[in-house]
Amino acid sequence: MTAEAELSNSTQTKLKFAERFDDWLNPIVVKELRQAVQSRFVITALLVLLAIQIIAVAIYLMTTADISFSYDAGRTVFMILFGIMLAVSMLFVPLYSGVRLAAERSETNLDLLFITTIKPRSIIFGKMLAAVVLTVMIFSACLPFLTFTYFLRGVDLPSMAVVLAIGFVSVTLSAQTMVFLACLPVGRAFKFMLGVFGFILMVIGYVSTMATAGGMLWEGVGSKIGSMDFWQWVGIIALNYGFQIGLLLALSIALIKPISANRALPVRLYLTIVWIFGGIAALLGSWVEATHDPVVYWQASFNIVFAFSIFTAISERDWPGASVLRTLPESSGKRLLRFFFSSGSANGLAWTVSMIVATYGVCWIWWRLFPNVGSLAELVGSTRWLTVMNLYLFCYALTAAFLRRHWLTRIGTKWTWVICLMLVAIGSIVPFLIGLLVYLNDSDWWREDYGIWMVGNPFVWDVAAHRSLYLSVGSFWAVLAIAFNLQWFLERIRGFHAQSLSDKNQSERLE
Amino acid sequence: MKVEVSNLKKYFGSTRAVDDVSFSFASGQVVGFVGPNGAGKTTTMRILATLDEPTAGQAFIDGVSVIEEPELARKLVGYVPDSLPTHRDISVHEYLDFFARAYGLKGAKRRQTVDGIEEFTNLSGIRDKMLVALSKGMKQRVTLARALLHDPPVLIMDEPAAGLDPRARIELRELLRVLSGQGKAILISSHILTELAEICHGAVIIEHGKILMAGGIADLLSDSVPRRTVLIRVLSRQEELHRELLQMHGIETARFNGEEIAAEVSGTDEACAELLAVLIARGYRVVEFKQQRANLEEIFMNVTKGVVQ
Repeated sequence: MTAEAELSNSTQTKLKFAERFDDWLNPIVVKELRQAVQSRFVITALLVLLAIQIIAVAIYLMTTADISFSYDAGRTVFMILFGIMLAVSMLFVPLYSGVRLAAERSETNLDLLFITTIKPRSIIFGKMLAAVVLTVMIFSACLPFLTFTYFLRGVDLPSMAVVLAIGFVSVTLSAQTMVFLACLPVGRAFKFMLGVFGFILMVIGYVSTMATAGGMLWEGVGSKIGSMDFWQWVGIIALNYGFQIGLLLALSIALIKPISANRALPVRLYLTIVWIFGGIAALLGSWVEATHDPVVYWQASFNIVFAFSIFTAISERDWPGASVLRTLPESSGKRLLRFFFSSGSANGLAWTVSMIVATYGVCWIWWRLFPNVGSLAELVGSTRWLTVMNLYLFCYALTAAFLRRHWLTRIGTKWTWVICLMLVAIGSIVPFLIGLLVYLNDSDWWREDYGIWMVGNPFVWDVAAHRSLYLSVGSFWAVLAIAFNLQWFLERIRGFHAQSLSDKNQSERLE
Repeated sequence: MKVEVSNLKKYFGSTRAVDDVSFSFASGQVVGFVGPNGAGKTTTMRILATLDEPTAGQAFIDGVSVIEEPELARKLVGYVPDSLPTHRDISVHEYLDFFARAYGLKGAKRRQTVDGIEEFTNLSGIRDKMLVALSKGMKQRVTLARALLHDPPVLIMDEPAAGLDPRARIELRELLRVLSGQGKAILISSHILTELAEICHGAVIIEHGKILMAGGIADLLSDSVPRRTVLIRVLSRQEELHRELLQMHGIETARFNGEEIAAEVSGTDEACAELLAVLIARGYRVVEFKQQRANLEEIFMNVTKGVVQ
């Protein structure tokens, strides 16, 4: 074989590899990056960022006369440059990703994507990946300036690396938050309000990232790298960020899925998996560290997530879509499992209640097994508090669903959460106001009996004197609410099979 | 290949957007979907394109249910919405390449498909132009090209001619003719009824979510209008014929313009044939007896009441 032929073969192999790589790329990433590199907005933002950084460094160097004797010049300049880079990244990347997606969603562009063979998860992962690449681009552009600060002294390389990593994750989390907000199917006015809310979140994120970064730079990471505590801290932070990004991804995927699809699956599957692995990690951590703190953190996080899940569940569609029912398995065991992971109000409630009960069960077994481990009171107290809170929210939710089905039929299922919120507000305030009127002239009321009049408030478990009253009322109400909704729930279970498709078509299920 | 819509219903709360709609059409047919604004056209089309779910009823494309098997149905449908692409910072070729990737086309096949579609829709010359810089007509071509990328046997087009200038409309019409000739089943909604009549084999007229009339264009034209306009020219005694027609049973009006008489005959083709026989029997030397065909616009005005939901 001649040298020329060998060269040609090698070029062809490279071309084939490039072609395969090109095919493998997520189409959304390709499109987003093509648009980004051709966008005047992106190019201008990058140039402005670089110009600001050059000006900032120049001003610092010119105004600091004794720089050669200063031992924290590098740290100060790094902090200034990092602050500028983070501000631009946290403002620009999330806004660029979020606003674009919101615009695409409000027009028909996303609809056109749904009718291709691309999956909703590819759309969201693509948007996310494009945001990550944009962030890498901005960070890379700033890297020469940031590296320069090392030579000014006062900052070590591990600290720089860790701070940059924290900044990178914060930008990614902000971008994913904006993508999630952009996915919400709301009108223009509400979208604007969400944008403002997102901006406030970003400002909070910026301030907390800067505070963490500042602390790390001033203390220095280099000396801590060898300690277990440091890596434990890094692990917890990484898991926390990972959980939030994952949850936002799952929620965004669910939101952009077509209405006929099983929208609940990604979210419930993700939460169940994280609940299992998070639980195992928390129990192991609790056992190793001889404290219940990790379990407290685990159950509290998930009970709060389940509280939101109750509101979401009652606002879901009444029946799963035809395309979901069609794919149900014949086996009743497998079908039962699918029931928990399918879109539908009854399905959502069944999953949420099971998860709340399972969380309480795990905690109960754990504190029974290890009664002498630290933070026992915190574990028992917080678990009971949050479980009773969810019991009350469950009662409110079932009552709201019942009211909507029988008397508020003009209100769509998707607005049941609003009825539920109104009931929570009425239940929390009205009894208290009645008590206030009854005991208007009784100054002792505030010290003694007001807790009785807080009986409708889901968050009142902290008033220790009346706990048995709250639990009794909550339980009695739950029994009543279940009894009133039982027929509806059983119909949903009975209708959860592929054969019911034709019956449902006949009976014209109104939304 | 057949598209079948059967007892389709879509309710938004108490509003019945689509109310028991049934119709069908097959390969090679272009069917006009006609109705006033808010009649339920877009909702029906979105259901067919798997973008919405009906409250009840079924829709099949080549036997595949768009409700139960949307993923499979999507491969069979090309959807052209009533809005034009608004993507910024992307060229025509990049836009089509993106959708080709989204349809799962890979490597050389993707390149060939995109090039072929660009050539077919006459976009090759402007493939590197930015989308936002294109005229409405060109954007509509891009949308059509996008819908054709996966070579679907069915095209659903929602108001594709809206806002286009006459040249762009004629070009679109020609493209549709070619596509129909290739065997594609096309459902097209439009307000420009004269154009629809020229390219459609059939029409479905919908109002208030209900189908008022459906069938082949020729059948609709002959069945829907309860009277016929006939142009009559005789060699002599024209004024006498005019007076006679005005008194004749079954003739609603008759206008004489000095050359010919336009008479409106109540009834169908039978009544026209009878009138001709009467004229000849009465000794009129008829040189021209031409029925003026009703057009789709006239049918539309006759059957719809302009009810908007």
